[in-house]
Parts: sequence; C-alpha cells; structure tokens
Amino acid sequence: MIRKLLKPLASLKLTVVIFALSIILVFAGTLAQVHAGIWTVVDQYFRSLFVRIELQIFIPESVAELDGAIWFPGGLTLGVVMLVNLVAAHSVRFKFRKKRIGIIVTHLGVILLLVGEFVTGFAAREGNMTIREGETVNFIEDIRSTELAVIDQSGPKDDLVVVVPGSIMSHNETISNGLLPFTIEVSEWMHNSQLLGPNQQQGARKGLADSGTGSSFAAAPVPRANGVDNGQTVDVPSVYLTISKGDQRIGSYLLSVYFQQPQSVVVDGRTYQIELRFRRTYKPYEIHLVDFKHDLFTGTQMARNFSSEVRLVDKERNVDRDVLIYMNHPLRHAGETFYQASFLADNSGTVLQVVQNPGWLIPYVSCTMVTLGMLIHFGIRLVPTLRRPSK
Amino acid sequence: MKKVQQYLPWIVFVLALLYAGQKAISPERIESQFNLNSFRELPVSASGRTKPLDTVARNSLMNLSGRQSVRTDDGKMSAIEWYLELVTDPQQSIERQVFRIDHPGVLALVGLDTENRTRFSFAELFPSGNEINRQAMLASEVKAKSRDPFQHAVLVLNQRLMLYNSLQQLQSPYLVPPLRVGDDWRSFITVLNETPDDPDARALLTVLQSYKDKDVQVFNDELASLTSLVDSQIPYDARKSRYEVVFNQVQPFYSASILYVMAFLVGCFGLLASQLSRSAWSKTLLGTMTGLIIAAFIVHTIGITSRVYLQGRPPITNLYSSAVFIGWFAVILGLIMDRQMKLGLGGILASVIGFGTLIVAHNLGSSGDTMEMMQAVLDSNFWLATHVVVVTIGYSATFFAGFLATAYVLLGVFTRLLDHERGKSLSKMIYGVICFATLMSFLGTVLGGIWADQSWGRFWGWDAKENGAALIVLLNLLILHARWGGMVRDRGVAVLAISGNIVTAWSWFGTNMLGVGLHSYGFTQSAVFWISMFVISQLVLMGIGMMPMQIWRSKFQRHPVEKNKPVQPATA
Repeated sequence: MIRKLLKPLASLKLTVVIFALSIILVFAGTLAQVHAGIWTVVDQYFRSLFVRIELQIFIPESVAELDGAIWFPGGLTLGVVMLVNLVAAHSVRFKFRKKRIGIIVTHLGVILLLVGEFVTGFAAREGNMTIREGETVNFIEDIRSTELAVIDQSGPKDDLVVVVPGSIMSHNETISNGLLPFTIEVSEWMHNSQLLGPNQQQGARKGLADSGTGSSFAAAPVPRANGVDNGQTVDVPSVYLTISKGDQRIGSYLLSVYFQQPQSVVVDGRTYQIELRFRRTYKPYEIHLVDFKHDLFTGTQMARNFSSEVRLVDKERNVDRDVLIYMNHPLRHAGETFYQASFLADNSGTVLQVVQNPGWLIPYVSCTMVTLGMLIHFGIRLVPTLRRPSK
Repeated sequence: MKKVQQYLPWIVFVLALLYAGQKAISPERIESQFNLNSFRELPVSASGRTKPLDTVARNSLMNLSGRQSVRTDDGKMSAIEWYLELVTDPQQSIERQVFRIDHPGVLALVGLDTENRTRFSFAELFPSGNEINRQAMLASEVKAKSRDPFQHAVLVLNQRLMLYNSLQQLQSPYLVPPLRVGDDWRSFITVLNETPDDPDARALLTVLQSYKDKDVQVFNDELASLTSLVDSQIPYDARKSRYEVVFNQVQPFYSASILYVMAFLVGCFGLLASQLSRSAWSKTLLGTMTGLIIAAFIVHTIGITSRVYLQGRPPITNLYSSAVFIGWFAVILGLIMDRQMKLGLGGILASVIGFGTLIVAHNLGSSGDTMEMMQAVLDSNFWLATHVVVVTIGYSATFFAGFLATAYVLLGVFTRLLDHERGKSLSKMIYGVICFATLMSFLGTVLGGIWADQSWGRFWGWDAKENGAALIVLLNLLILHARWGGMVRDRGVAVLAISGNIVTAWSWFGTNMLGVGLHSYGFTQSAVFWISMFVISQLVLMGIGMMPMQIWRSKFQRHPVEKNKPVQPATA
C-alpha cells in the first residue's frame, strides 16, 4: 500500500521536472535582483512556498514594458518536493547493491544539504557590529530591520529602554502602549531615505518636523536598495512622527538611522532619549576596536587588505584576548563568527559581520559526501564503459 | 611516399614549435643606437604591480589606440620609443595619432568628424579639452547602467586623456624602486622634489635627459649603471621584469591561436579525406592535426605558466584568464577524446574551442593590463587555486559537452559521417563529459560556498554568480537524470547538452552584465551583443537537432538491410 503511494513520488520524471523548475526559479531569482534587494529576493523566491514572478524581469524596461506575472513554486516547495522524491526513491526503487553505493552516498549527501539549507533558513542569524576606533560595543545590529528606542535614563542604576519594531511604524499608525510614556503618531515612514541638509530642502520636504534634529534636517524617501548595484546595498530608514501626551502635543520629530545621537524629548518634566536605529541584540561579551587598517596597492585606490585589531572580552567565559580579524580570517567565538565586512567612511571604524548559524558545518559534510559519492559512482560505472574500445 | 606520410605529423609538430618559439630564441631587438632593449626591461610599479616599462608602454598604447605600436610617416614606432618620446619630447609627441575615437557623436564633439580616420593626436583634441571634460562630468553623474553609448564613449575618451597626462607628467607609473625591501615604490616627480639626491632618480633623470639631447653614449652608460643599481636593490623583480619582456614579445597566446586555426583546417581536410577514400592520407592529416594541436597546447601551457610566475597567482584571476583557461582545458579533453575514439573529432573541437576562447580572451584583454591586482576579498591564493580552477574546469567541460553535441547534431543532420557505431561512441563521449562536468561544477560550486563561509559567513548567498554556477550543476543533473529515466536518448542528451552552452555562457558572462556585487569583475558593453548572438545560434542548433530523424542524413540504425532478411532456418 505504502509502496503504491510512494511510487509516483519516487519517479525520475518528477526529479527531472523539479530540476527544470529549479533552473527557471534560480534564473528568475537572479534576474529579479536587478530590481530588488538580494534579501527581498531570497525571501520571495528561495525561502517561499510560492512566488509571483513578474514577467518584466526577463526583458529590460527599455525594450518593452510588461505587466503580467505568473505564480511559480518557490524554493521551499521545490526543496521539500525534492527531499520527498529522494527519500521515496530510496525506499522504493533502490536496492542496496555494491555498485549503487556511489549513488546512495551522493543522495544522502544531497538530503543532508537540503536539510542544512532549511536549518540555515530558519535558524541562522546575521547581524553587524559597527565599532569606531577606541570604542567598545556589546550589541549586534540587524541591518534588515529597524526599531524605535525610547530610553529613560533617570533610573538610579539601569536605563529603562522601550523599543518599538520598525515593522509596526511602517503601517503609519498611532502607537500607544502602557510601557510608553507618550503616544507616537507616525506621519511618514521611509524604508529607505536620504538626508537633506538645511540648504537642500525644497517645498514639500521643508518644515515637516518642528523639534529636535529635524528642525534643521529633512529626509526624503528614495528607492529601496537592490541586490545588483555596486553602490548602496542597505536601506537606511527614516521616520517623521509626532509625540503627544494625552491631548497635549509635544512636538513633531524626524528620526533617522543616519543620526548618530539620540534626541531628547521632555514630557512632564522628565527627559527621554529617542532614536531610530537598526534592531539591536545585546550580548554578554564586548568588543573593543584597537585599530582598523585599510591598505591600498601602491599608487592606486584599490584595496589590498582590510583588518581590525580588536580586544574580545567575555566575562562569562573568562575570555580576554586580542584578535586580528581580516579578509578570509574570521574570529569564531561562542557559536558566532565575526567577519571583516566593511568599514566607516574615512577609515574611522570597522563593520564586522556577525553570523550565528548552528548548521554551518552541515554543508561541509554533505558536500564531501556528494563529491565522494559521485567519484565512486562515476569511477565504478562510467570509466569501464569508456575504457571499452569502440570498434 | 609512405615515409612522408609517416613522418609528416612529426615534422609539422617540430616546425610549429619552432614557429612559436622563434621570438624566445632570438628576441626581436629594437634597431636603435640607444640601448632601448635594456631600457624597456626596467622594472616599474603600475596599478600596484611591478612590471617592466615595456608592459606599461604597450598596455597604455593599447588602451589609447587599440594597438601596441604607433604608425608614423616613416614606418612603425615601438611602444617604448613612443613612451620615451612622450616623456622627453612632448612637442613632438602630441602630434602622434594615438587616440582612437569611433563614436560619431564624440567625433562631432571634438570637431573631427570630417576626417577620414579613427585615430587622432593630442594636439587635435587639445582645443576641445574643456568640452570633453564638461561632457564627461555630465556623463559621470549618470549611473553606469543607464549611460548611453555617447556618454560611455566620452567617459572613455576622458579617461584616456587622463592616462596620457599622467604618463606624460611622469606621475604614473611609479618609476623609483624601493631602496630596501619592505619600502614602497615612489613616483619620480615626488622623489625629485623631496629627495633629489636619490641615486635611482638621479640616474633615471640623466637617462631621460640624454635621450632628449640625443646623447647615445651618456644614455647607454647611465642606463647600464641604473640597471645594475636596480638589480642590486630588487633582484627578484628585475629578473621577472626581464622575463616579462620576453613574454610580451613571444605572445604565446597569439601563436597558439594561429596553430589552432591551422590544426582546424588540416583536421577538416583529414575528415573529408576519410570520407572520399580510405586512403592513408586521412590518417596522416589527422595525425598532423594532432601534432599541431599538441604544439599549440604546449605554447598555450607555457603562456599560462608564465602568467602564473609573473603574477605569483594561480592561473585564473579575472575574466581574461578564465577564457584562456577554459580553452586550455577543453584542448586536454579533446586530446583525450581522440585517444579514446579515433575519429579526429576531438582534435577539431579542441582547435575550435582553443581558438575561440583565445579570441574571446584577446577581446577581453584589449583595455589594459591583464595581470591586474586582486580585490582584497579575492586575495587568497588557496581559494583561487581550488574553487576558481575547479569551477572553471566545470565550465570548460560543460562547453566541451555542448560542442560535442553540436558536432553530433551537425554531422548527423547534414552528413552521412555518423553510422551506428560512431553515433553511439560520440554520444557515449557526450554522456561521459557531462558526468565529469557535473562532478567538477558541483565540487567547484561547493568550494566557492566554503570560501564564502570563510570570508563572510554565508555558505550560500544566492548571489548572481553563485546562481550561475548552480544553474550549470542543475542542468547537468537534469540531463543525467533524464537519461537514466529513459526520458531522453542519445539525441535528446545532445540537444540538452547544447543548451548547456547557453547556461554556461550566461553564468560566465551574463551574470557580470547584471552588474552584480562582488563577483562582477570585468564587464564589457559589446559583450552583451556577442552573448546574445551566441545564445541565438545555440537555440537554432537545438532546433536543428530536434528535426525528425527521417531528414537526418546520417542513419543510426544498426543494420537497416538485415531487418527485412528472411530468418534463416537454424541448421544443426
């Protein structure tokens, strides 16, 4: 009974169809990066059940403008079906024989690879650590999401911090919560923005905020960063909002991830700090940047190397040591890996990419298995056939 | 006669090697009383790499004019002579027609559209300098992707003028070697201003001055002492520099491509002869082809190893070298194939791919130094040697399978060359190469993933180039599984293998055209056109391959006649 059910699932025809669909999906998912950010594409195409593929991505807008779109199985669907197909094939079709060992090892490796990709998709966390020379940082920023922090520093020992996720603000609504000392009315949320100095503001962008930094600076929305431009790759959000307490209007503000310093808001005689920032996760360790180096090739502007000399202090684990992080030489600590990713303008600081991926070893194992399996299979099956002299 | 047939391949092989090696044996000398042959060997530093002045002069001239020499009224002027004149006699030099301009809009801009030539002198462009600069400023405000051909051309011209100026004013390359190991190269002008009694700078100044004064004696003497000074300061670089000058003259990839063309022609005659009669000439011609290919392959290999030595890097560092390498590996596959099935087809394919990829490389390398320095993140010899080499072998094998399949389709449809046996062994070959390509492209892609995990913590990032490599793996897997499942047979595998050419071309070039991220090295505009042409041609081929078997001229049935034979009664 089970065999009957499994049989169609185990068919090689299904395998070929999956490969064909995957080819189309990967191709479309690459072209889509011309218009959308790589992470948007990864979520829409490769980590989704279904994806709506805009036909426009196949043809440049300068050639023709297309409207339509087609629904297509996403990476998650194809991955799961491929997994089912493989497992079914091995339970129905394949009998363990010596000459099949190569294929079996290869396929086990593929299964492991797919599982590993699921683990990465669901469990991997990526973030950034931006540290200026001489500063110490103990949190990781997720540059793909934003939060509004309201900080009350009046407490005797600890600061009280209330954070509002950026995703809530992007709906342009009014936010009030028992933890917040005031209500926040979002008037304009910008996923990606540029700052306008006092002399750059014109008409509509002028005077949208009357308090804080926003009284001299303005922000304007710009298209979201896409995956293929060499320039900007990170969205920098800004938001215009109005703060009130009950009926009393306190002021309208411009908050932006561009701003380095929080702004002060005084409500009922108490001073709060507010800032829009990339979402933070605080860590039990801290990293101090001693020196950042950006070496160039002689007589050029081309980078030869980036390196960060840091001091890693983790009291919980009794760690206190100096580390040099540079290209292709990350630091691994406490299940996280720190890579030299970028740097601040004028080389005043470093940006480390911090990755936590419990499945990071899986691809290494699975790929070794697949390669070995293929070597065995082609070695015992193919080579003798080719050796046979053709008359 | 028999003797001739027997020895001809060997004779041709030796002649071919002599042809390619002649310049290495007796280097071309510049006829001049000034010891320019020694002057051009002086090591300098440009774009971060230490190289001989000869390379700088050649590459700069190539960048400006698309040629490595200057045509003058009284003949040819070598690159190094042009360079010396540029820095010592600007008045004369600005009259040399070295700026190549093709775009009619740019020609009109500089008021030279009535001239009947494409190369112009600095003196001719000088009056329009401000306008060129203004147009370049306007164009540079536009994102690279949205620039129109005029804006692109104007930026190129502006960049050429800047290159010309920086050469003329001795700002680049850096001419003064480090005094001790660990120090940096310095610009000649800076050194003259800051430490005028630097021995290298002073000797060089005298050399240039004496060239200007046409004082042969001083030039040669002072150059000799400068050379021995540099030899003592940076002996290793000086040696490399001399080797590179020889390399520049021998132009191994050029001679290799000539030999590949000859091999192709001889091979075609060989195939033809094998059909016309069973004469032994067919064997001789095919043998001669193999001789030519092996000679070309040796030269090709010497070219690649020379680059490895000069650059201190594994063989593939940019698009140019990947083209050179893809061809090189395809030649190996072709030679192996000819050992397996003695049809001569492997040699013909080897020569086609060898020649084709060297032409591609030539066009990719026309804008300057092909041995440029590596971006910081790519600066890892270990991964360049493993991931890049393996994945390029995967590309090469997929292309080879695609070209084998092309041969299968073309020979099958248009000739009677493929009988049952040959058809079978050819498709066996295609299948074998696809298996190999699957293995290599998978392993290469995975190694790339591991490199990515090492350098930015993400095994797989769905970046365009990664996706391109994955597409090759997926397509090869599709072909293999379709064959195993009986969904396609020999012909279907061949048609699918041709589509492998499209996928590989797209991964190799197409992804760069999207202008994507880290992997997008080397993008050229005209490449878009050529890639599109290539894709269309492959689609046409696939269409031809799918035509009904009845109109194929080769019949693949085993023994078509025997089918109708009455069954013989069994005899005891």
